Amino acid sequence: MGNSRQPQVELLRGTLDLLILRTLQAGPTHGHAIAKHIQRTSEDVLQVETGSLYPALHRLEAKGWVAASWELSDKGKRARVYRLTPHGRKQLAAEQTKWDAFSRAMRLVVNPAGQEGK
Amino acid sequence: MKLFLHRLRSLLDGGQKEDDLRRELEFHLAEESEARQVEGVTAEAARAAARRDLGSMALVQEETRAVWTFPCLEQLAQDCRYGLRTLAGSKTFSLLAILSLGLGLGASTAIYSFMDWLLMRSLPVADPGSLAVLNWREPAGSGGDSVVSGMSGNVWRGEGSGRMSGIFPFAAFELIRQNSDALFSSVFAYYPTGRVNVMVRGQAEVARGEFVSGDYFRGLAVAPAAGRLVIPDDDRVGAPAVAVLSFAYSQRRFGDAARAPGQPIFINHVPFLVAGVAPPEFFGVDPAASPDFYVPLRANLLLNLRSGPNVDLYHNRNFYWLEMMARLHPGVSTTQAQAALSPLFRRWVESTARNDRERAKLPELRIREGAAGLDTLRRRYSKPLFVLLGMAALVLVIVCVNIANLLLARAASRRREIAIRLSIGASRARVIRQLLTESILLSAIGCAVAIPLALWGIRVLTALLANGADEFTIRPGVNWQIFLVSFGLAVLTGLLFGLAPALQATRVDVAGALKETRAGQPRTRARGLHPGQALVAAQIGISLVMLMAAGLFVRTLLNLQSIQLGFNGEDILLFRMNARQAGHRDPEIITFYSDLQERFRAIAGVRSATAMHHPLIGQGTSSAPVVPAGEPGKPRFIPHVLMTGADFFSTMQVPVLLGRGFDSRDRAGSPPVAIVNEAYVKSHFRDRNPIGEHLTVRLAPPLENQEVVVIGVVRNARYGALKGEFSDIVYLPFHQNSYYPLEELTFALRSSGNPLRHLNAVREVARQADPRVPVTDVQTQAAQIDQTMTQEILFAHLCTAFAVLTLLIACIGLYGTMAHLVERRTGEIGIRMALGADRGDIVGMVLRQSFLLTGAGLTLGVPFCLIASRLVASFLFGVEPNDAVAVCLSVVILVTSVLLAGYVPARRASRVDPMTAVRSE
Repeated sequence: MGNSRQPQVELLRGTLDLLILRTLQAGPTHGHAIAKHIQRTSEDVLQVETGSLYPALHRLEAKGWVAASWELSDKGKRARVYRLTPHGRKQLAAEQTKWDAFSRAMRLVVNPAGQEGK
Repeated sequence: MKLFLHRLRSLLDGGQKEDDLRRELEFHLAEESEARQVEGVTAEAARAAARRDLGSMALVQEETRAVWTFPCLEQLAQDCRYGLRTLAGSKTFSLLAILSLGLGLGASTAIYSFMDWLLMRSLPVADPGSLAVLNWREPAGSGGDSVVSGMSGNVWRGEGSGRMSGIFPFAAFELIRQNSDALFSSVFAYYPTGRVNVMVRGQAEVARGEFVSGDYFRGLAVAPAAGRLVIPDDDRVGAPAVAVLSFAYSQRRFGDAARAPGQPIFINHVPFLVAGVAPPEFFGVDPAASPDFYVPLRANLLLNLRSGPNVDLYHNRNFYWLEMMARLHPGVSTTQAQAALSPLFRRWVESTARNDRERAKLPELRIREGAAGLDTLRRRYSKPLFVLLGMAALVLVIVCVNIANLLLARAASRRREIAIRLSIGASRARVIRQLLTESILLSAIGCAVAIPLALWGIRVLTALLANGADEFTIRPGVNWQIFLVSFGLAVLTGLLFGLAPALQATRVDVAGALKETRAGQPRTRARGLHPGQALVAAQIGISLVMLMAAGLFVRTLLNLQSIQLGFNGEDILLFRMNARQAGHRDPEIITFYSDLQERFRAIAGVRSATAMHHPLIGQGTSSAPVVPAGEPGKPRFIPHVLMTGADFFSTMQVPVLLGRGFDSRDRAGSPPVAIVNEAYVKSHFRDRNPIGEHLTVRLAPPLENQEVVVIGVVRNARYGALKGEFSDIVYLPFHQNSYYPLEELTFALRSSGNPLRHLNAVREVARQADPRVPVTDVQTQAAQIDQTMTQEILFAHLCTAFAVLTLLIACIGLYGTMAHLVERRTGEIGIRMALGADRGDIVGMVLRQSFLLTGAGLTLGVPFCLIASRLVASFLFGVEPNDAVAVCLSVVILVTSVLLAGYVPARRASRVDPMTAVRSE
């Protein structure tokens, strides 16, 4: 039902989870901050859709990879803060390995000379 | 798995989670707009941009929710909620559909549960399939000569003509037992003791038992619950008297089954020792009776129950009394057994014939399956239950038709709604699922209503069928199979009529359907019936059948109730006492009884008291040849005989036409007297005055014939059956020993007001006279008469209820259809009125439609009625199957109520304001 808008660069399937987990490795934070962090760090290439962020967060929570609690944000407002669980940390390591292998393989095929992408 | 648990938790968590998400998203929006404001955008624009960025909040919520719940479950709950709302939206129809579905399902389940109990149940013994019941069938023949010269037991009409029975002489039992080793592993016999006095620790009660041959329990393969059961060694002359109690009876009399073995009990004042207790589920071989105890066959010599014709049960080869069953060897069928034993039985029975006329129609052996035990109950109840089931089935049909009609109408009026849902992106599957949910929801609610109704129905049916009888053994539970089948039928109807239009509706041209005006659905064809109308016509037809049946059964009941009794049955208390079984003997028993009658008479509030040796109504009669003295040869008429106490005619209010009634002058030792009724005078004396004439009461040896003098003539009164001509009756005073020895006596007390309130006083008087003689079968004379009409009362009540129900459904069906029609034709009506049609024209126009439907229904119903009423002909009394009054009455009732139902929408049509109507078009 309803059509989702297309992001600037479409996230590869399954990568959003990795991005979230990786962001949380730096410490617990709330949803909006996660989105902003990803956007900033990727130099505005990766736009995290709010429409997919929250379902993803809740999915990770359901899987037990992240835990959430209501805490006061730095601006003194109550925010739902997510943190990595030990299980999530393990999962992050696994995903990271997988991603490294994948991106290396991609680079090897797309840029056989070893040059950097654009 | 983890995910599943998480979802389950969230499901239980309910709103909390939902709330959290909402707040979380709000926080996100606030952060986002703040961030944008920092970039220099105005607060308002920032908020709008943040919102835009988030997209549809509801969608995000929806998708997030999908993570922690079961989407299909969620949607189902949604569908159910929506379905309930839709059902609540059309309250009358939904309520009627649910109620009628509940009633239809409940009624058919209750009735079928009875049938199942009667027809499908096996005896609770090991391997019931190898049991066989032995019967005989005697071809119909002219003349009364038969080798069966005397009998005690049940006889019924056989296949085609002739009579069938399961009772045999003792010699036949021995014959089969000794010559069937190759076929049967066991042959055993039994017969009921009837009502006997059982005294346990000084407490006397009336109980019913079974005489059983030594092999009875081994043959049935029953294991004792305590002690031991009857064994062959118990069943011989001179063996110690032992008894086996039923489980329930042992609990009632001894508190516990384990305590009963070894205890002494007195049966009819004869001491017996309790040997053991039968298992709890065991009820003998006849579901119609559940004996309280079992004693060896030859204990009947000790108990000497048989008054009247004194026959030597063990040597008389023409007296039939003993019932037989056998257990077949593995691999032997009843057909094989019958083929093998028939010639043997035939030779034997031929040797008992005393002349050629008897030889011309000898009983033939019949062996049938015995898994379900004896079919006493089946013979009695299966036909009425089939009729009831037929009625319930009709109700179920009309219920389904009703649901079909409801859903059809709903589907038609929901075309617009479905079009909207499709246009905003719902998939067809989703819409169909929604409609399906609604149909099933309707059936499910109906089902929930039906379960308590079925339970209640079983209770009511039990009460109606038992009608106060003390030995009613049918105790069915709800038969869930049939419940599921009927439920499935209802769901199927729902699906068929809910889904078919739904499927069609989802194929609608969305744009076209949306453009339709609210009332402007596709035009109905001007001629012919559309499906909804055909359904209403069918409902009217079925209602006619039910009304007609109700009419016939009610008239039957009224006819029965208006039968001339010849006595006054109001305000009479009846109860029975049996002093002989408690040890009283001649001649003291007569003084005991007449003394009791005096004491009952003296109870405050009792206006008069009397007694009779046999209940007046519903228990058959006692009869003997009583002929004018000196009349030679075989008597032409055998009158009924009733021994009564003094004041019988004044108490029962039977007018004495000539002479006098019995009083204190007629006692032991005074000249024996008799009183006869008009019918007897007509048969034997024509116009002569019989007062002073001598009659001979012919009794079977060893009793001697008695000579009595007629001292009075009384008006005809009922004795035995309620129906038919008044029979010849000879009344004798019980004090004079002019008939068979006195056993049980039925006392009748006339009082002013409720006769049952004297019950305690009666018990007290009886206890003072002799505590060993229990007071039993307490009821009013009116209840005793009612009991003979159990079936008619049942039919009249149930059928009337069913008829009212179907009529109601049909009326509402018609009302709905007509209302729908009027709504759709509002524009047309407006135009007609604008063109000058007056209200009468409009009412007539709409009523014409009702007439049309009613006419179609009647055309459908009348032929069906004529066929159906012939099927129930045997249940009618004093009214013909195609009774004109019943037919006319039901047609009139039907047409009136249906037109009333049709008039309401017609009136509404006539109130249409032409301006509004035309404008709304």
